[in-house]
Amino acid sequence: MSLLIADEITKTYSATGWFRKQTPEGKGVREISFTLEEGSCLGILGESGAGKSTLGRIVLGLLPPDSGTLTFRGIDLYRSGRSERKQWRRDIQVVFQDSYSAMNPRMTVQDIVAEPLRNYERKSSKEERSAVAELLELVGLGADDMTKRPKQMSGGQLQRVNIARAIALKPKLIVLDEPVSSMDMIIQKQILDHLKELKEKIGTAYLFISHDISAVQYFADRVAILDRGTLEVRESFDPFT
Amino acid sequence: MKDRHKAFANLLVRRRWMLYLSLSVLLAVVVCGIFAPYLAPHDPSFVDFSHKLESPSWDYPLGTDQLGRCLFSRLLYGTRVSLGLALLIVVACLLSGLLIGCLSGYSGGWIDHAVMRVCDAVLAFPSLILAISLIAVWGAGWKQMAIALVIVQTVYYARFVRGLVINLKQQTYVTAARVCGTNPVRILMRHIVPNMLPPLLVVVTLEIGWVIMDISALSFIGLGIQAPTAEWGAMINEGKSFIRSHPRLMIAPGAMIFVMVALLNLVSDAFGENKGFGSPLRRKSKST
Ligand SMILES: Nc1ncnc2c1ncn2[C@@H]1O[C@H](COP(=O)(O)OP(=O)(O)OP(=O)(O)O)[C@@H](O)[C@H]1O
Ligand SMILES: [Mg+2]
Repeated sequence: MSLLIADEITKTYSATGWFRKQTPEGKGVREISFTLEEGSCLGILGESGAGKSTLGRIVLGLLPPDSGTLTFRGIDLYRSGRSERKQWRRDIQVVFQDSYSAMNPRMTVQDIVAEPLRNYERKSSKEERSAVAELLELVGLGADDMTKRPKQMSGGQLQRVNIARAIALKPKLIVLDEPVSSMDMIIQKQILDHLKELKEKIGTAYLFISHDISAVQYFADRVAILDRGTLEVRESFDPFT
Repeated sequence: MKDRHKAFANLLVRRRWMLYLSLSVLLAVVVCGIFAPYLAPHDPSFVDFSHKLESPSWDYPLGTDQLGRCLFSRLLYGTRVSLGLALLIVVACLLSGLLIGCLSGYSGGWIDHAVMRVCDAVLAFPSLILAISLIAVWGAGWKQMAIALVIVQTVYYARFVRGLVINLKQQTYVTAARVCGTNPVRILMRHIVPNMLPPLLVVVTLEIGWVIMDISALSFIGLGIQAPTAEWGAMINEGKSFIRSHPRLMIAPGAMIFVMVALLNLVSDAFGENKGFGSPLRRKSKST
């Protein structure tokens, strides 16, 4: 059975309020279907405004779709009970594009990475420290970065912290919403390599959202193209066919 | 270009300087209030008709009032009442405003709608008038005044906090926290409230000044702090019969109110400029 099955998912942004005009067609996503196997990586390619982040938010459970179903490990996510929802929160994590704004500027790296652990597991502060140190090491940071605040780190380092937070709960799926788009080529490759390695180590699947064809080619097992809200899954990587 | 740079830097330095000066004067007043029992030369409510309406002297630094009480001592003790009560009221407003604003702003939907309609209803009245009507129902006295002011002011805080919450709720780090399983209460406590402290600080310093004026105004018209207690507004009221013969009875407490409010405004402005936002909470013009 597939890890994640999206079936005819539609979400259009309609202007709410009494006096505003309806937004024109094409905002959001329409009748999207795809499947994602355990431990694999699906690349979602699309230009700006195509609805990539919208799709990501739906998968993350942040944006209920207008219609269609999303099945994660056999459970219909948007029609599930509380406890299933809680498990789902645990099993699907995210890395956003803007690494800096994805972190509370007032918290230390340790607090940031430990946040998911604190939500689901009871750990003594010593256990927590070693868990965080281990996670930081997994993403190529040192234990001495633990006491730093986001302002004291570079973009690449920050994104590694984000990744450490995302893998803290050993999720089944991570939504990567343009995780490397704001970085230069060398750092991009380093981070993508790291993500690949993590995929082997903890066996997570990725939904890799990007507008960069070469990054998707390098990183994803399969690719789907999102064009003005509709998704087309390609078997071959050649984007021009 | 360079000149302009320099002028700007100068301005900043001068502002800093002003901030520190205002803060130290404020602190000095607070300390004087706290240590009033040790600093005051006389008991503030000790009536001595043999010394009534005396001019300033070594024994009575600011002279005495119509009952022969030491004006300077009364001012000192008045600091405790005015500042202490203002602080108490502002803290109470802040807590209730935080609670209501967070609930309303974070949950959204019909809760938000209901809360905001209630706020609109309260805001439709000038706040002092509303406070006066509440006191009219409950009777005069400092407790009634404090509760009335808290109720009236909480609305401003709630609205302000709600706006900040709605803004911060959209931050990516809040979304990230939701995704990693943090519950709403924790999100508010750890991610939202700490990040709205700087603008709240600006508002709170400004508000303390406003509340000092409100307390004085209500006490002046006899609705707040009652007669024997030394309080600036009540002192002005008592002194008003002697405005021609002994104006210092009114001027001294009036000057204290003016200085405190002005300093708090300066500090609030400086905080605001420092943090890159102007005064975020403009209250409707008030008839004080
Ligand atoms: N909350 C919203 N309300 C209304 N319209 C929205 C909202 N969020 C996004 N949209 C619209 O939906 C469309 C898709 O947005 P989305 O953020 O999914 O694009 P994207 O593919 O992620 O683009 P980018 O590459 O720039 O991140 C855009 O046209 C956008 O204007
Ligand atoms: Mg996007």
